[in-house]
Amino acid sequence: MTSRKPIIYVIDDDVSVGRALSLLLKAHDFTVETFTCAADFLAFKHPKSTCCLILDLRLPHMNGLVLQETMASQGLTIPIIFISGHGNIPKSVKAMKGGAVDFLPKPFTDKELLEAIDRAIAKDKIINKDLAEKEKIWRRIKTLSPRELEVFRLVASGMLSKQIAYKRGKALQTIKVHRSRVMQKMQAKTVTELIHFAQKAGLISSK
Amino acid sequence: MKNKSKMKRTMKKDIRTKRKPRPLKKGKKSSSAVAREKTQKLISDKEYGIKERRHFKRRSADQNGSRNHLREIVSHQEDELKTKNGQIKKWEDKERLAEEQILIRTKVMDSASDGIFIIDAQKGDFPVIYYNQSFQAMTGYPKKDILGKNYFLLYGAVADPRIAEEIKNTLLQDKSFHGEMINFRKNGENFWNYLRIAPVRDAKGIVTHYAGIQTDVTVMRQKDLKIKEQREELLHVTRVGKLAEFVSSLAHEISQPLTAILAYAQAAQRILTGPPTGQAERELQLQEILQYIVNDDQRASEVIRRLRSLLKKSDPEFTPIDMNALINETVVLMTTDVTVRNKVIKTKLHPKLPLIRGDRIQLQQVLLNLISNSLDAMETKDESRELVIRTSCKATIEIMVEVKDSGCGIPLQNMKKLFKHFFTSKPDGLGMGLSISRSIIEAHGGQLEAKNNPDGGATFYFTLPVVLSKSKGKRIPNDQS
Repeated sequence: MTSRKPIIYVIDDDVSVGRALSLLLKAHDFTVETFTCAADFLAFKHPKSTCCLILDLRLPHMNGLVLQETMASQGLTIPIIFISGHGNIPKSVKAMKGGAVDFLPKPFTDKELLEAIDRAIAKDKIINKDLAEKEKIWRRIKTLSPRELEVFRLVASGMLSKQIAYKRGKALQTIKVHRSRVMQKMQAKTVTELIHFAQKAGLISSK
Repeated sequence: MKNKSKMKRTMKKDIRTKRKPRPLKKGKKSSSAVAREKTQKLISDKEYGIKERRHFKRRSADQNGSRNHLREIVSHQEDELKTKNGQIKKWEDKERLAEEQILIRTKVMDSASDGIFIIDAQKGDFPVIYYNQSFQAMTGYPKKDILGKNYFLLYGAVADPRIAEEIKNTLLQDKSFHGEMINFRKNGENFWNYLRIAPVRDAKGIVTHYAGIQTDVTVMRQKDLKIKEQREELLHVTRVGKLAEFVSSLAHEISQPLTAILAYAQAAQRILTGPPTGQAERELQLQEILQYIVNDDQRASEVIRRLRSLLKKSDPEFTPIDMNALINETVVLMTTDVTVRNKVIKTKLHPKLPLIRGDRIQLQQVLLNLISNSLDAMETKDESRELVIRTSCKATIEIMVEVKDSGCGIPLQNMKKLFKHFFTSKPDGLGMGLSISRSIIEAHGGQLEAKNNPDGGATFYFTLPVVLSKSKGKRIPNDQS
């Protein structure tokens, strides 16, 4: 892992709250970026780094829940910790269902916040690891010829070489050659591993 | 052919017989002839009669003449009888018609859904001399208790006597009355009576009767009340809703600076315990943070200050108050509510209660609160109906007002919490009534307390200091009457 400090994004329309959180988190050795509205945050160019977002529920123009949805639709996978001055249960439920890491009613202690941040960062790392793996697999997939890709799909869907040969009207030997090429290019030692790659890449749906 | 000719023959015969009258036997006259003779005779008699009358004075009473004279008299009397008979028949017809009319009217009166009655105005005690079926059904009394009896006794013993007095006075001034009131049936059940009574005058303009119509408008009244209740409920809901909204926004406004202050303070702690940086830099940082904390504290204080100014009411207006009058007024305000809940408020007011000083509206609020609490307490018990409000005077320095119910009483564990803010035993109560009431009474220099009655139910009682005249320290007399 890189030794770079995780970045904490803070969005709160209250300048003082943003500043206070920034001071607190900086004192805990985080890099902090504060915003007073969702649009500013979306316009920000995110560096590739472990991060999480502390998001106020009530914001002008675009509230926290809408931003959460917008981020999901844009494929922005930053884990979110919601904070709110209203103990609004329905909204907190919605936030949690939308994948939020935590929901902290204001005022909260540094302990509560730091624990939530730890969890968010752990989640972000998993997400990033996943993403990295996915990218790696896709890089390998891109080296496959169209025919090899087809064989890859069929093998991943659980078909035997014989079945594939019969279905495609090809000699069994030809299919076997394609298959070994796929295994080689995908760097898979077993068929099980190959199927796992296919799942990760989203070629076949995992159960 | 033969038959046909025979038929023709018989027909001819028939015609013949019809056309030709049968020959009469000798010595017998035809009926028409007899009639002719009789008429002739009558005419001659008449002529004779006229002649006879003409020469009556001159003529001596010969036999023939006296007979004619008698006949004359008899016929005369006969005529007279005939006309008299005709007249009697006419009278009888008239009478029968009148009877029928009366019968129809009685039927109509009895089929009316309104209670209709007539009172004899000539007698002093307002006796009922007519009533219809609806009237009897409405009051629930038997015939012997209505007919000839004082109309006002039918209002029921529990009915407010002041209303009956008012109606009597109106009628005695020969004016008509209309209005709504609560009456009681014989079985004690109450109903809203919409009453109209008007005086009936004879040809000389003297009032002989009072005619009245009364309608049971209980259902309508209950509908009105239901609408009113729903409206109040709605008001309450919106009030609670507004309160929740207000509290929520207040919480948000205060939570912002609190969040910031906490984060600043904990950041400062972290800076102090964290890895050492340059001393000067750290001090600068901490000074900055402390300033932020002060700023946010001021922000929070501002929210609270605004809240205070929002809740600040205008100062109460202190005026001399006759507590008895205020109680009576309040009881009138509650009448509908009390009646619909089938309860009764009795007042036992000290006749010479000294005046107190206070804010009329606030004190009435306390009374309304205590009364409606007591009514709520009696809600669950059907057998307990009576709520007593008593005033008394303690050693001429303070008055005491007691509101005593016969309801469910106060559970011991609630006794201490009773006057606390937000304490309530009602499912939809706010828990503000008694605490506000107590602070009002205390602001008036009195005390509000509660106790359970030995015979069930609870009594809420408060004291208020009597107004002393400045010069001699004597109490100001009650100038109500």
